[in-house]
Amino acid sequence: MPVVLEAQEISFIYPQNNRGLAPVSLSLAENEGVFISGNSGSGKSTFTRCLSGLIPHLYRGEFSGKVLIHGDSTQDLPMWELADRVGLVFQNPAHQMLAPTVEAEILFGLENLGISRADMKQRLEEIFGFFKLEPFRNRSPHTLSGGEQQKLALASILARQPEIFIFDEPLSMLDTTSALEFVAHVENLINKGKSAVICEHRDKFLENSTHFRKFLLPGIHQPPAEQQDITHPDYPESLDQFQLQVRNLSVEKSGNKIIREMSFSLDSGQIVAIVGRNGAGKTTLLRSLVGLQKHNGDICINNGTINQKPHFRMVFQNPDIQLFNPSVKDEILFKVSRPNMQRYEWLLEMLDLRRYEDTPPLLLSEGEKRRLALALTLMQNGKHGVLLDEPALGQDQHHKDILIQLLKKLSQAGFLVIFTTHDLELAAHADHLILISPQGIVADGPTHEVLHADSAWQQIGLVRPDWMTFDV
Amino acid sequence: MFNLSQKGKTRSILLNEASPLRRLDPRSKLFVSIALSLAVMLPLDKLIIFIGVYIIFIAWARLLLEMARQTWRLRWILLFLFVIDWWLVSFELAAVITLRLILLSGVFALFFSTTSTNELSMALESLRIPYRFAFSINLAFQSIGLLQEEWQAIREAQQSRGILVKFDGIRQLIKQVNDLIALTVPAIVLATRRAWAITEAAYSRGFDSPQRVSYYQLQMNWIDWLFIGLILAIMLTFIFWR
Repeated sequence: MPVVLEAQEISFIYPQNNRGLAPVSLSLAENEGVFISGNSGSGKSTFTRCLSGLIPHLYRGEFSGKVLIHGDSTQDLPMWELADRVGLVFQNPAHQMLAPTVEAEILFGLENLGISRADMKQRLEEIFGFFKLEPFRNRSPHTLSGGEQQKLALASILARQPEIFIFDEPLSMLDTTSALEFVAHVENLINKGKSAVICEHRDKFLENSTHFRKFLLPGIHQPPAEQQDITHPDYPESLDQFQLQVRNLSVEKSGNKIIREMSFSLDSGQIVAIVGRNGAGKTTLLRSLVGLQKHNGDICINNGTINQKPHFRMVFQNPDIQLFNPSVKDEILFKVSRPNMQRYEWLLEMLDLRRYEDTPPLLLSEGEKRRLALALTLMQNGKHGVLLDEPALGQDQHHKDILIQLLKKLSQAGFLVIFTTHDLELAAHADHLILISPQGIVADGPTHEVLHADSAWQQIGLVRPDWMTFDV
Repeated sequence: MFNLSQKGKTRSILLNEASPLRRLDPRSKLFVSIALSLAVMLPLDKLIIFIGVYIIFIAWARLLLEMARQTWRLRWILLFLFVIDWWLVSFELAAVITLRLILLSGVFALFFSTTSTNELSMALESLRIPYRFAFSINLAFQSIGLLQEEWQAIREAQQSRGILVKFDGIRQLIKQVNDLIALTVPAIVLATRRAWAITEAAYSRGFDSPQRVSYYQLQMNWIDWLFIGLILAIMLTFIFWR
């Protein structure tokens, strides 16, 4: 098979934080799929930017080596010509939507190809048919669910018919059903003679596909090996026992019922996973529990004698909405009156943040920022526990293990830990699992029981692939 | 929708599909909006009559509600300017300035309730504004709703850390400088990231292509010319009428 893309010893260093991509070579043949794996911070996104030509065209930094596409160097071709040959799909589909309607979104790329209006119309209708997007034609892309947005992102690139597709963590925000559908779409492209490179943390979705060859990215900043086996001390404090009781919880937004009549109770010291499809109301449920969301129904804490309002702290999905201080230390201690420095030290050790204590938070990698957001939330006094919205997003296995360890330590100290996730293998580490759909709770019970409740999973439309293991 | 309102949370100007002006070419509406804006130069007596005529026209165009909403959003600015001008200069000047602003907000409502951001972009392009500028204006209008939502998300997240900015006078505000930074720095970071992500997304789909062909085409009809002629006649009558 002829080689369509070749990276020759390419490396890149961002000037602002001296991070980037260590020297790496890769060649991609026609009709071939390569799956790039690597730790957080190994430079997967940077690699996709180099392969697609965004580096060096749009980024300043230290670039060396050469990327050849059909024998032409990316440095010698203008961006629009590179875009004709290589289609790039980014990690967060919501951030790549440029047009006010789904139709205009697909047309944006077609108009730039310079083809006739008749050809555009034909390609547009083909794409609408292929991806079954017709019901969304005149809707704003930002009103679609995560899975639909990712499908639209792929559709808008596919309409341009490039030879090579490059994906930067396309599965990170998708539930298992949407992720499997997405992988099937890419496999279909490879069957039709296209070539694809996918950078992804959720390895198993691609390791189990026969269409992809695995390629390990070496990375510049690997976590030190000696840290893997460290046994961390217990959380330095402990909470009293209590029970969280939720009765008839309903949430309505703009006339749509997001949560319908949910009732459940949870005990202190539990780790609880909330799982559901994209748009099932997982985040809204957490927002209601922490008091940010207007709702109907009761949410209270019963400690055996009196009922009181719950006092949780929440770790948000996007860490960037909270970080602003000049150093990691200042960020964690901001607005904490009489900080418990024992807890502070424990968090630094536990979350592998010690070496960044004096680093500005905005210079950290995405995974590090997530751990910092967790640290600053836990430094605040949440009397009853902590809520985490998709904490595993963008984390490699090593940092997922750190996260699981931390949650276990917190639950041992009496915290009620509730997290939402698409990652069923992470959910398997919880003591309790709640499956939700827009119609309400579908299953609620000990994790090992709910994981095997086939009818509940069928009801919410979430696939548990055969290769997925739930051994803890 | 006028802007990209995520999950319908943000307040935005909806396109009024029932208005007869919705079917007109955006260029004719752009021209008419500019012409109508020139009425701000009229003296007070003429301006009052003009606004009366304008309200009748707006009612015919089924845009009265949009104009009322737009004016209501500006109520505090209008009140502030009216009081200051009356206090510092005269009642007449205060009335003229307030009426001018009401007229301009009405013209804004007329245009944006009947024209999508895509149509605005196409109108600008056909008026020889370079595509990259027309596209940027389109994106800027689309982003208003997203920026509002991001601001709300930042406020909530920081509030949950005990950062609560209250606007209780200037002195109080100065005391809360650190807390204000806690809101503005993430807002700037998110806006910059969004802008960068959009730039990458646009260039990776051939934004800089010299061979771009627009799929949609604008077409001026007789009704557009009639509309322009009618508004021009009204404007000239007001300007030269003594």
